[in-house]
Amino acid sequence: MTKTVAMEKMLNKADLAAWMGKLDSHRLFSPALEDEDVWNYMPVEEAAKVLLNHPNTVRPPKGFVFPQREVLYEYSQVPGEAPVLNETLPDPAPAVVFGVRPCDSRGLVRQDIVFTKEYEDPYYQGRRAKVIYVGQACNQPPSPNCFCMSVGGSPCAEDGLDVLMTELDGKYHVKALTPRGSELLAKGGELFKDAQAADKAAVEKAHASAKAHPQRPIKDLGKVAGALKANFDSPAWDEMAKACIGCGICTFLCPTCHCFDISDEVKCSSPCKGERVRTWDSCQFPDFTMHTSGHNPRETLGSRLRQRVCHKFLYFVENHDTQQCTGCGRCVSLCPVGIDIVSVVERLGQP
Amino acid sequence: MSQNAYLPKLGRIAAIKEEVAGARAIKTFRIEFVNGDGFEHDCGQCAMISVFGKGESMISIASAPHVKDYKQFSIMRTGRVTTALHDLNVGDVVGVRGPYGNKFPVKDWKGKNLIFIGGGCGLAPIWPVVQTAVNERRQFGNITVFYGGRSSRDIMYRNELEKLKGDVDVHLSIDAQEEGWDGYCGFVPANVMTKAPKADNAIAITCGPPIMIKYVIQNLKELGFEDDMIYTTIENKMKCGIGKCGRCNVGKDYVCVNGPVYSWAALKDLPQEY
Amino acid sequence: MIDVAALKAHAKSLLEKGSVRAVIGYRKSTAGLLAEPATIADADATDDLIFDPTCVQNLALYLVNDKKERVHSRSDDKRPIAVVAKGCDSRAITVLLQEKHFPRESVHVIGVSCEGTGVVDARKLAKKLDGKKALSVNFDGSEAFSITTEDGAQSIPAAEVMAERCLECRSAHPTLSDMTFGEAKSERALHAPFQAVKHKMKDEQDNRWAFWARQFDRCLRCYACRSVCPMCYCEECVVDSINFAVLPDTTADEKADRIKWIERSPARSETAMYHMVRAIHLAGRCVDCAECERVCPVNIPLRLLNTRLEMEAFETFEYNPGSDMNAPTLTSSFRDTDPNSFIR
Repeated sequence: MTKTVAMEKMLNKADLAAWMGKLDSHRLFSPALEDEDVWNYMPVEEAAKVLLNHPNTVRPPKGFVFPQREVLYEYSQVPGEAPVLNETLPDPAPAVVFGVRPCDSRGLVRQDIVFTKEYEDPYYQGRRAKVIYVGQACNQPPSPNCFCMSVGGSPCAEDGLDVLMTELDGKYHVKALTPRGSELLAKGGELFKDAQAADKAAVEKAHASAKAHPQRPIKDLGKVAGALKANFDSPAWDEMAKACIGCGICTFLCPTCHCFDISDEVKCSSPCKGERVRTWDSCQFPDFTMHTSGHNPRETLGSRLRQRVCHKFLYFVENHDTQQCTGCGRCVSLCPVGIDIVSVVERLGQP
Repeated sequence: MSQNAYLPKLGRIAAIKEEVAGARAIKTFRIEFVNGDGFEHDCGQCAMISVFGKGESMISIASAPHVKDYKQFSIMRTGRVTTALHDLNVGDVVGVRGPYGNKFPVKDWKGKNLIFIGGGCGLAPIWPVVQTAVNERRQFGNITVFYGGRSSRDIMYRNELEKLKGDVDVHLSIDAQEEGWDGYCGFVPANVMTKAPKADNAIAITCGPPIMIKYVIQNLKELGFEDDMIYTTIENKMKCGIGKCGRCNVGKDYVCVNGPVYSWAALKDLPQEY
Repeated sequence: MIDVAALKAHAKSLLEKGSVRAVIGYRKSTAGLLAEPATIADADATDDLIFDPTCVQNLALYLVNDKKERVHSRSDDKRPIAVVAKGCDSRAITVLLQEKHFPRESVHVIGVSCEGTGVVDARKLAKKLDGKKALSVNFDGSEAFSITTEDGAQSIPAAEVMAERCLECRSAHPTLSDMTFGEAKSERALHAPFQAVKHKMKDEQDNRWAFWARQFDRCLRCYACRSVCPMCYCEECVVDSINFAVLPDTTADEKADRIKWIERSPARSETAMYHMVRAIHLAGRCVDCAECERVCPVNIPLRLLNTRLEMEAFETFEYNPGSDMNAPTLTSSFRDTDPNSFIR
């Protein structure tokens, strides 16, 4: 996305709802409690109730463009005749997602690489073009396991966002980062005032203080890939994966994980009718790599932990020159048995 | 590429040939695209074949690139999709999308001696190279094919191999002695050693069961073949074919995009997760 | 009060004498407050062992995993493996023994008492501390936990931050062990079996379905509930996409004909089916360790499904899973006095 000169505005906190009210051509989403203790991106029902000081959502916002289930096409086939395929490309109504944490928007940038490089993915693209991301700088770390700054990000990083909002005293500093973002601000009209020098100083101060929160460090990020490669055959992988239960939490809730399965869901067997769908899949499941013959190239928990960590800190770096981890901390916080990617990288990703 | 990579083209089964019968049956399917669709391919590339209601499987294209009217696939009956394919008849329509993967660098091999070493179903992925070399026979030096099956009933492309004789040195083998068999008895790697092809100006292309490939490479090294003179193909579970679903990811490579063809020099550096 | 130093010393001596292959226990985690499971084979590393109310996991799972691993590696080391077991963990081991999953002599159970309380619920604790980070949690008598934050230590009534299942626990002391640490406090002030499910069942049927529909709709199908359950040891599960038990003589037809009972799509029908199948397969086997509920990243109250069936087993058949390793299992036995007449 081309960057224009950033537009910086101020919005009274009390006017957030009014601004949302002017965006009625879009579906609006913001973090809200889906159920007890479960923060998720939910449709905005009452703009006045939207609060943007939420903890990390359980799910990253990746589902807006890469939903857990996507129908690729429908098929039907009368026996003896040619099948009829009906392409089902998504054409969602435009949406604005508020409250996106910078780690999650950086996750989106990494998803973009996967889904648009070499072969474009029309399903992803179709949705991606329709979603505008309004970020929320993290004045306070939204999770105790945040480590965005250790992987090249920051609590006020802008990549992947159309707008970045920063909460100041009674106001939001709102910065448009893309033409789509500028349009969104334009719809707010006079709700927005130009940011003055004092506002800009305040936002800089807020960002500096956000960056000053201690995070778990990863030493020598630039050397991690090489060290992981050197430690590929280390017995420590098995040791560290010993407690792993082999569930999909770490990958399903990762803002960058993109692996999927494709399967046929049969609605009727004669005439044959159904949908070919893709659903999230996980390299942590044992059936992920198992061949029909029964041979499984990554049979052990250790080899699967290694795949997850190396994909993020070695293979992706080799292919795209950046880590495929944005330090959101979800896989650390939500692992049922305390497997901690920072500790793993500390142990096997250091020369 | 702007079109939908997930949407298959339709192809009609024009012919089915039973190569091998029994529990591990192999059939060769000749598929002609319908609706004027189609695609060109290179030696070593694969395609996703769909049986709607069952799913998709990645299969190597066994016909040569110069054959434009159809694509041929030799498929072992082994799981859900391949069993469904084996149950189809001539005239039935399946989905085909592709081509996927890299290719054998056949152009770079002009003037060289080619040694093909196949076992079981592993003749299919290297067959397009054999066909291309024979089609452009004068461009290449000596061509030798080693091929073996468990028994004489497991030898695929029997007639095609017969037809090669003259242009190509063909050395067939079966694992154990059978009445009426006048070829070699024993495993493929051993057959290679008894004939001891020379490494000078040669390229070896091998495909078959992993255990066979392992010993073939060991033996070729003994015969003086350098790592970059040995080519093989690998396989992994695949779903998308376009490097996104992550299933076939090995190291930094996606077998469906960066593979399936590897020189031993390149394959040595890849984690052994295939 | 449980003597963790004695626990460590016991583990150390087992390893030094070589009488066990390894000790499965708990150690401090780098990921947060909750302990992490640790399999320790080196006697010197036993110093890492801890036991306090952050030791939430059911370590019986690792006995199941250990067995799988040993079958795979064809190990001929016949020595037992030691495992630290709370009351609920020991009940799980008992069920596994009842089901002949492994022989009694293959496991050395190091029982640990929950000291009349139980383990923490991390979510409840976080709420209670309102933003403050707990640095440690310790047993503090039979009704309280001592919790340390950066502001120092405080005593909090255990019932306020304890896991729901511990509030309903019927035996907070190991029923099976080779060596036990801590006091057996069987008379518990907190004792309230099946309270949550009884409360839920008072609701109208339509409301209950609406409740479950909402829960199932957000299920991610990450299968953490299945993966963490020591009783979910099937080699191949109805939700798996393919056969796992593929042998050289498994035919193409067997693979092709495998029924897809449940689609991978997180649709309500599929997800409900998954959770129902799991609950029913656990009837009379679930020891209410509630790990399924704890690990759920989207907080689905899965315990309610399992305890509903356990309540049935208890109230109808007086069956208490995991209480006696020599007793027949619920579904493999009957008594003349059982209700209903179909069996006679």
